[in-house]
Amino acid sequence: MIGFPVRHEMSGSCITIGTPVKNTVTGQSGTTTQISQPLQIKNMGYHGIYLPEANLLLDGSGVDAPTFITHAHADHVPRNRHQPVFASPATAALMRARGHSGPIKEIPFGETTSLPGSGTRESGDKRSGDNKSGHVRVTLFPAGHILGSAMVFVETDQGSLLYTGDCRVPPSPASEGFQLPDAQVDYLIIEATFALPIYKWQPHETLFDQIRDFATDSLSDGDTPILLCYNLGKAQEVMHALASCDPPVSVQIHGGGEKLCRVYEDFGVDLGRWEPYNRETLPGKVLIAPSSTLESPMIRDLRTRRIAYVSGWASLEVRASQLLADALIPLSDHLDFFELLDVCRTLKPRHTWLTHSPDPTVALHYLHQEGFSCSSLETERADDG
Amino acid sequence: MTDKAHSPSFARLCETLTDVMHTRSSTRKISLFAGYLKGLEDDRDVSLAVQFTAEGAFSTLSGRRAAVGHRTVALTAAKFCGIDYDVVFRPCRTATGSASETIEKLMQNLPEAAARREPAWLGLDDLADGFERLAAASGREQKQQVLTGLWERMTAREIRFMIRMLSQGSLRIGFEVRSILPAIALAFGVDAEQVRRVHMLTGEIGKTALLARAGELHSARFRMFQPVAFMLASPMETGPVGGAETGDGDGGSAGAGAEGDSGAGAGNVGGSGVDPRAYVAEEKFDGMRTQAHIGPDSGQVSGQVSDPDPGPDSGQVSGQVSVRLFSRDLNDVTVSFPDVAGQLREAMAILPSKKSRPPDVSVSAQPGTLQSGKQNSVTLQSGLQNLVTRQPGTIEAVLDGELCVLEDGRIQPFQRLQKRMGVKKPGRKLLAEHPVRFIAYDLLFLNGEEVIDLPLHKRRRLLEEFCAQTGLPCSRQHEIASAADIERLFRQALEHGNEGLMLKRRDSTYEYGQRNKSWLKVKQPGGSLDTVIMYAHAGSGRRGGTYSDFTLGIRVDEDERYEEQFIPIGKAYGGYTDEELKKLNRRIKELAVERFGPTLSLRPGIVVEVEFDDIQVNRRTKAGYTLRLPRFRSIRWDLSPADTDTLADVERLYRKRAERSGDADPSNSPVLFHKAGTL
Ligand SMILES: [Zn+2]
Repeated sequence: MIGFPVRHEMSGSCITIGTPVKNTVTGQSGTTTQISQPLQIKNMGYHGIYLPEANLLLDGSGVDAPTFITHAHADHVPRNRHQPVFASPATAALMRARGHSGPIKEIPFGETTSLPGSGTRESGDKRSGDNKSGHVRVTLFPAGHILGSAMVFVETDQGSLLYTGDCRVPPSPASEGFQLPDAQVDYLIIEATFALPIYKWQPHETLFDQIRDFATDSLSDGDTPILLCYNLGKAQEVMHALASCDPPVSVQIHGGGEKLCRVYEDFGVDLGRWEPYNRETLPGKVLIAPSSTLESPMIRDLRTRRIAYVSGWASLEVRASQLLADALIPLSDHLDFFELLDVCRTLKPRHTWLTHSPDPTVALHYLHQEGFSCSSLETERADDG
Repeated sequence: MTDKAHSPSFARLCETLTDVMHTRSSTRKISLFAGYLKGLEDDRDVSLAVQFTAEGAFSTLSGRRAAVGHRTVALTAAKFCGIDYDVVFRPCRTATGSASETIEKLMQNLPEAAARREPAWLGLDDLADGFERLAAASGREQKQQVLTGLWERMTAREIRFMIRMLSQGSLRIGFEVRSILPAIALAFGVDAEQVRRVHMLTGEIGKTALLARAGELHSARFRMFQPVAFMLASPMETGPVGGAETGDGDGGSAGAGAEGDSGAGAGNVGGSGVDPRAYVAEEKFDGMRTQAHIGPDSGQVSGQVSDPDPGPDSGQVSGQVSVRLFSRDLNDVTVSFPDVAGQLREAMAILPSKKSRPPDVSVSAQPGTLQSGKQNSVTLQSGLQNLVTRQPGTIEAVLDGELCVLEDGRIQPFQRLQKRMGVKKPGRKLLAEHPVRFIAYDLLFLNGEEVIDLPLHKRRRLLEEFCAQTGLPCSRQHEIASAADIERLFRQALEHGNEGLMLKRRDSTYEYGQRNKSWLKVKQPGGSLDTVIMYAHAGSGRRGGTYSDFTLGIRVDEDERYEEQFIPIGKAYGGYTDEELKKLNRRIKELAVERFGPTLSLRPGIVVEVEFDDIQVNRRTKAGYTLRLPRFRSIRWDLSPADTDTLADVERLYRKRAERSGDADPSNSPVLFHKAGTL
C-alpha cells in the first residue's frame, strides 16, 4: 500500500501526526471546550501508535512503554514475541496459541487500569478528583471484530482517546460483542478498511444462511465444499454459522486453525462438529482453509470440490470473479462505510483519525460535510519498517 | 427468485444474468439461460432477451448505438446519487474496477439514491424503448434526462446491466455468443450446430432464436446484401523464422520481432505447432477489410435493403447490378465508396464480352499465368459454369477482401485511405485524389452456392476464375514449404509497404465469425521511442493499490508550437516486471506533484523506452499523434528527461512509415491484376 499525498514531516521511523489545532474544531457547537494541552499521537507504522504524554504504546513494539494489544491478528501483535503486553483474556490466549512467549497481563473488558503516564507534566487535570495528576486510565471495550478484540479507551489529563483497533458493528456473533464507552471520547482513531460507500454489509444472519446453503447444497450434490477464509476469526465465525446447519455437517479445518479453534471453544463459542484436516476422511465434510491454499495439492487435487471465498472483499464482484470461486460470500469482520459514519456520529469526538484505509478521502469528505474535524492517520506500513 | 419470476420483466432477465455470472461451469451457465428463455411466452421477449445478452442495446447488424459515453453515464449517476463525481465517484470506481458495478452499489447503498428510485418492473420492450429514446436524444443534457427517467424506475441491479448493454457487445459475465447459441439450442430443443450456422447466415442472434423457437431453422438461407460475419486471423504466437526444424539456419529476426519477441525462443511455424506446408501465404494489406455483395438489384433480391434514392454515386443501378460493401463490424459502408461500387459493377459489365468464349478456355489459360509456372487444371464447380453463361444482371457473388487506395497498380499508404474512411458522400476532388479499389482474397457465395463450406484451395480456384473473368484484382497467393519461405515472403511484403503476411490453412473452410489458427497473421513490429512518464494511474485487479498505468510524454521543450516541456503521446499498461513496478512506484512517490483521484501527476524524471505497433494521426490530441498499443520495452534509469525523443522525431517516424511502400516489381506484385483498364 502506498499512501499519498506524500508529506514531508517524516523523520526517522517516527511520524508526528499533527494534533488537532486549537479552535479548529468545526461545527459541533457546544462541544468545543478547549483542552489546553492537546494529546500527542505518534504513528509508528509497523511499530504501532505511541502516545508520548500517556507513555502508552498501542498494537506495537520497540518503545519502552506499557503496550496494549487490541487483538491477535498478525498485523497488530508485536513482532518481538517476548515483549510484555496488556490484552483481553481471549486475545492473551490466542496470542499464546500463536506463539507469543512474553508475559501478558490480562485485562478483562470494562475494568480500568491506572498507569503512571510519562510523569513529565505538572498538574492540569481539573476534571476528576480520584485521578492522580499525570496518571492515565486505560479500559478495554469489546470491538466485535474477532474473539478477544478490544478497543482501547485512554483517559489522560489532555483528554480521552478511543483507539478501535479492528472493529465491527453489529459485532461478530463469535466475539464478545461491541460496546462503546459511556464517557466522552475526545479523540477517536478508527479503522477504515472498507470506508467507501460501495461497501454496505448484509446482516450476519443473511450471510450465515448463504454459508449454510453453500455447504449443504454442495454436500448433497456429492461435492466437497471448501470455504476460503482467514484462519483466525473468519474461520471460526464460519464454523459457528455451520454449527446450526440442519442436518448437521462435519467440518475439517486446515493446519494452523486447530489451536485457535480450541481457544474459541474455551471461551464458550459453539463451533459445531469439527476436526483437523485429514485427506482420507474429508469426503462428506466441509473444509475450511485460508485462500493461500487454493493452489496447494490439498485443494487442487480434489476432484469434486466447490469453492466459496468468504471475505469483505468478496463484495467486489468484478474483482473477486478473478478468484475462480464458485461462490462469493461478502462476510466482513470490519465495519462498513455507513457503520463507520454512525460510530463517529454517536461519539462526536473533537477529532477523528482514520487508519488502515486504502483510500480515506471519501470518508473524510463525508465527515467534513457533517462538521467533524478529521484527518487520515497514514500508517505507511510498507515503507518505514 | 421474486414474485416476478414468471413475468418477462427486465428484472427477471437481470436475475438470470446474475446467476449466470455467479456460476463457473459453462454448462450450467448455458442451462440457466436456456431455462430462462424457455419460460418466455412472447416472441418479441425472446428476441430482445437474447439480443440484450449477446449484442447489447441494439442488434449488431443494425449498426446502431445508444451513443452515450462512459463519462456521461458516470456523471449522470453521480448526480442521481447526489455525490461529487471527483471526490466520491472516482475513488469508488477505482476500488471496484468497474463503472457499472460502482453505480449499482451506490444506487443500492446511498439512501438518497434509493429514495429516488421506485422499481416499476419494466418489461424488456420498455427497455428497448428506453434505448431508442437514448439514441434519439441529442447532447449530454438530453441523454442525462432519459437515463435519469429510466433509472428512477429501476432496481440497482437492472441499472448495472442496462449500463453494460449501452456499450454494446459482451456483458462480460463470462457468457459470450459462443455459449448463448447452445443455450438457444437447448431451450428450444434444436441442433446447436444448426443454430450457429443460422446465426452466421442471418447475422442476428435475436432472429436466430426466433427461428429456433419456431422450428424454422432450415428456412434460413444466406441472403444477398446481408453480411456474413468475417473470418478472423490469430496472431502468430512466435516468430516464423530461425527454426531448427527446417534446418534453415537463417538468423533473420523479422518474424521474431513481429510479436515483440517475448523471449519464448526463436520459434518458427513448426514451433507454434504449425506445419508451414499446410499453409499458403498472402501479403497482408494495410487497408480496410470489406465484404462485397454483388448481384441483381437489391430490390429484387431482398426487399430489406433498398435505397429509396439511388443517386449517381450510390451502389445501385436500377434493374442492373447492385453492390453493397460491409465493414468488419458489418456496417454498410457503400455510400462512402462509390468508386469501389463502380469498380465492381463495371467488372460485372465486362462479362458479356466473354460470354462467347468457351468456358474451358478461360479456365485453363488465365490462372496459369498468375503463379510461377504452375498450371491449374481445375474441374469447375457448377457455380462457375453458371457464371459465364448467366446474364450479368443475374450474377450473385460475395467476396471478402480489402479496400485500398490504388495508384499505378500499387497500394498506397493507409494514411491516404484514412482520408476516405468515414467520409459519407465523398466529392469528386477527394475521389480523384485518393481512388479506392477492392482487392479480393476470398469468395464466400457464388450464384446461390455456399462456397463458404469448401476448403480454401477450392475457394481459391473459384476466386481466381471469377477474377480472371471479371478483371477484379485479387491477392497473390504463395506456396510455402519452410520457415525460410515465410521469412523471405515476409521481408518482401515489408518491401512492398504491406503490413506483413497472412498464412492461411489450405484445407480450412471459411470460419465465419471465428478467430482460430486457420488464419495466422505475421506482422512487423512497430517502433520504439524514449518517453517520459507524465502521469501515473492506480491500477485495477491484482495490481490494485499500485500505480501500474502510465501516461507517456514526448519532448516539445524546443518546439515553437508548444509552451510545455512534455505533452502526452500515449498510455502504456504493461511490459514491466513486478520488481520494476515496485521500483517505479518508489520513484513515483518522489516525483509526485499533485493527485487527482487515482491519478498522480509527476515531475519529469522517469524515462521509458516504449514500443508500439503504429503511429496514428489523432487531431484531438495535443500532439496530433497517438501511439498504437504502446508498452514498456525498458525503463531507462540511465537516461534523463533531456535525453528523450521529441515530437519532431515522432513526425519523422510517421512520415517514414507512411512512405514505406517501396517500388514493387510488377512481376511479384502482391496484387494480381487480370486486366488493364479495370483500375
Ligand atoms: Zn484484525
